[in-house]
Amino acid sequence: MTSAPSQSSRELTTAYLTDLVTNTLDPGYAAAAARRRADPRSTWWDRWNRPAVAIGCLLIGFTVAVAWVHTNRGAPAAARVHADLVTRVRAAQKADSSLAATAGALAGEANRLRDAALPSDGAVRSQLDRDELLAGVTAVTGPGMVVRLADPPRTTPAAVGGRPGTTPLADTAVLTDRDVRAVVNELWHDGAEAISVNDVRLTPTTAIRFAGQAVLVDFRPVTSPYTIRAIGDRNALETAFVDSAISSRYQTLAGARGVAFSFSQADHLTLPTSAAVAPRYAQPTTSPSATPGPSR
Amino acid sequence: MIAAIALVVGIVLGLVLRPTVPSWLEPYLPIAVVAALDAVFGGIRARLDGLFDAKVFVISFVSNVLVAALIVFLGDKLGVGAALSTAVVVVLGIRIFGNAAAIRRHIFRA
Repeated sequence: MTSAPSQSSRELTTAYLTDLVTNTLDPGYAAAAARRRADPRSTWWDRWNRPAVAIGCLLIGFTVAVAWVHTNRGAPAAARVHADLVTRVRAAQKADSSLAATAGALAGEANRLRDAALPSDGAVRSQLDRDELLAGVTAVTGPGMVVRLADPPRTTPAAVGGRPGTTPLADTAVLTDRDVRAVVNELWHDGAEAISVNDVRLTPTTAIRFAGQAVLVDFRPVTSPYTIRAIGDRNALETAFVDSAISSRYQTLAGARGVAFSFSQADHLTLPTSAAVAPRYAQPTTSPSATPGPSR
Repeated sequence: MIAAIALVVGIVLGLVLRPTVPSWLEPYLPIAVVAALDAVFGGIRARLDGLFDAKVFVISFVSNVLVAALIVFLGDKLGVGAALSTAVVVVLGIRIFGNAAAIRRHIFRA
């Protein structure tokens, strides 16, 4: 770009913004016209005028078309990848639930065969029933209490997302694994004998973790609202729970942050079974029949 | 006339060939498009003003694209990429708007 001779360099620096708005034509055109007026003879360049304009316009058209194609091609590709991922997640979920059903059926079959082999009463039988109950590998029923925790409702419908790969603060869950864990631990402390979170039974090997945006209970993702069922002496459970620091913390949160928190007694709760995980490395220190070990 | 034909040919070429834009070139594409539009509007206005010059047209287009790309490249390297891209788009956008207004005055006398 060459500046017009009429423009002094001082004008360029001081009034550049005004110039930018008022004098939008490239100053090169005026300069070239002035040159032509001063010296009307044709130059070597003149024979290249038409091809140069043609090539320039070709390039411009090409650039615009490529940008158009590129912009509009990206979106369907992203949608395709997204749909593909959704399909794979759905397939994995389906496979997971069918495997869980198979595992449940096989466990039921094994239990049935074992029951047929074992005497229907006696020391071995009662010891087995008690151990199964404690390990959470058998469905249980009884009185208890239910605690419900839920994230506050989303007020903003998450329109803009900032940088790709990040989650806006408004979209993050307020409740995390800590909250579920705190309530569960308080319920164990208050004397619960069996607990489930959103129909996932807690066993001695169950971890409550946080991965991405989901709370994982026993490696299964659960989402808000969280319903925590605990079987135990319902009056003692509720009294102890009401008195606890956990309860008052979530009452406060419910007032301040819109977290839904409620609990109630229940006459009749049924907690599901959990798949048994056979210990592979842990060995009893003595023969299990000799010393029953410390009981809860 | 030849310019319009070449423009159409270029658009058709782009639509037919559908070239894949390499990822390192992607940030420069919007800037190149804005520079191209600026060159087109500037050229049309110069033509209507009776000032059109092929050499200025081609060289201003090429150098605008290169300078805009350089600014964006520098901005990326120095961590002010988005801001400098915005600056390029604002400056060229003002020019496009002003030239479009001048073309409108030429055509409609208003």
